[in-house]
Amino acid sequence: MPTIGIETHVQLKTKSKLFSGAGNDARGAEPNTLINHVDFGLPGALPVLNQEAIKLACKVAMALKTKPRLFSTFDRKHYFYPDLPMGYQITQYDQPIIIGGQVEFELDSKPKRVGITRAHLEADAGKSTHPAGKDYSLVDLNRAGTPLIEIVSEPDMHSSAEAKAYAYELYLLMCYASVTDGDLYHGNMRFDVNVSVSNNDILGVRSETKNLNSFRAVEKAVDYEIKRQIELIKRGQPIIQETRGWNEAKQITTSLRFKENADDYRYMPDPDLPPIVIDENYVNKVAETLPKLPDFWRSKLFKLGLSKMQIAVLLDANIDFSDCGYLDLIADFANSNLDVKSLTNWLINVDIPLNRESKTQPNIIRFSLYESVIRLIESGKLNSTSAKELVARLLSSEKLPSNIERFAKTSGLLQTNDTDEIETLVDQVIKANPKAVKDVLGGEDKAVGYLIGQVMASSHGQANPEVARTLIMHKLEP
Amino acid sequence: MAKLSKKDVLKLARLARIELEPDEINVYIDEINRILTYVEQLKLVDSKDVIPTNQITGLTNIMRSDVIIDYGYNPRSLFKNVPKVRQHQIQVKRMVEL
Repeated sequence: MPTIGIETHVQLKTKSKLFSGAGNDARGAEPNTLINHVDFGLPGALPVLNQEAIKLACKVAMALKTKPRLFSTFDRKHYFYPDLPMGYQITQYDQPIIIGGQVEFELDSKPKRVGITRAHLEADAGKSTHPAGKDYSLVDLNRAGTPLIEIVSEPDMHSSAEAKAYAYELYLLMCYASVTDGDLYHGNMRFDVNVSVSNNDILGVRSETKNLNSFRAVEKAVDYEIKRQIELIKRGQPIIQETRGWNEAKQITTSLRFKENADDYRYMPDPDLPPIVIDENYVNKVAETLPKLPDFWRSKLFKLGLSKMQIAVLLDANIDFSDCGYLDLIADFANSNLDVKSLTNWLINVDIPLNRESKTQPNIIRFSLYESVIRLIESGKLNSTSAKELVARLLSSEKLPSNIERFAKTSGLLQTNDTDEIETLVDQVIKANPKAVKDVLGGEDKAVGYLIGQVMASSHGQANPEVARTLIMHKLEP
Repeated sequence: MAKLSKKDVLKLARLARIELEPDEINVYIDEINRILTYVEQLKLVDSKDVIPTNQITGLTNIMRSDVIIDYGYNPRSLFKNVPKVRQHQIQVKRMVEL
């Protein structure tokens, strides 16, 4: 049976770095512009802790269903690598800010719980690139000193599907707790997976595959490692405890440098950084600012009658399009006793897909939009085809029109319930389609739909299809 | 008396990313052993009731607000001591295989 534990590095969304006042958002910044003497590791530079990082770490603890520890300290972890200017990483070794906790999620409708061993604050290293065909590497220190929280799971997972689901749930938790931007493409969350296989109760030798930056890569790397290790055992070869990297192009893991043992890191208390002592009062104050977590929304939306699938889509989209506030919108709709299920269908089938194609404007007030559109549909003034067109137009406009019904009317999207007008069209259609008429008279229901379609077309989509149906049936009564 | 083996010295050299010539190894075995022996004198002190000292200042919670600080110099002026700069990045020996 395979056994999997995951270490996750989460970049915290502070404005400045963990130990210096350099800017922390390296996305799109020119190389080596967000650096200073502290992050550059110049002798004598004094690191001073960013208090926001402690606050965010407390929120991480709460998202992991535990409490931050009231006493924690910083240590130096020594190793030499070009992206680590100080020659050591500032991290938390024996007194981390979080010990314990758990992540719970559902997989194939079954509840799964993964324990958290610990989580600690540390400074990120710089970023190195290796230009193709050159004999050198380049180092950009913009990322050096970015606050990270490293979350270490218990080895509680036993399949690639569980590993992927854990990584995704952790992503949801960190995003909803609002501690990270959660931009995986830019490395805001990076996963190291520890995999071992064994056919008895004793854990096998594990490999660690580092720096996976997508849920799919987590799944694929775990699959690959399980297969590779089983192969080795079958061939009677030893599994080496080592660090491996993921080759996305080839979809394989490859051996990296030999992993140094913990005692090789020569951990020592960082004399520049006094201990952090917080109290219950502080923790309670932070708890008051903790946003609603995924489980709150799951249970709320489930009570409103949404399916698990719909809830999953909405939870995901709410992160990608945080400006739209989809979940708050649904809650507001429910508070106003409006039709939440219709709204959900609009969001999932129209709004979110349009958003994914960047066909929406950010400042549209969706509450008024959907309130009006759903009311127009319910009152029979708008049919579903025109409604879709109307919603698409409204979402892409700079500003909502003051009167949506009037806008729909002048755009020719409202349907007509005028029986005389529709009757004229029905008569024309019956005259022009003798074959379909014959089919209807012969009892073929499908042909009715065809005739309604013709009426809709000649009315440019504005006829009320129900009125058209009634008239056609009436006229073709045997 | 501390006894450092050739293996220990080679391991230290590897961790420190220092290349040693064969004739340097014995020199370092001897030198580091003498340093260790000197430090070993500390073992003579009775520290049974002494709490380990991690910090000597007695301070706690030295923190700053989360604001970007203008340090009054161009960040790239830090490159003055960097041996090789290319495309505003620090050029180093290739870290991964070609």
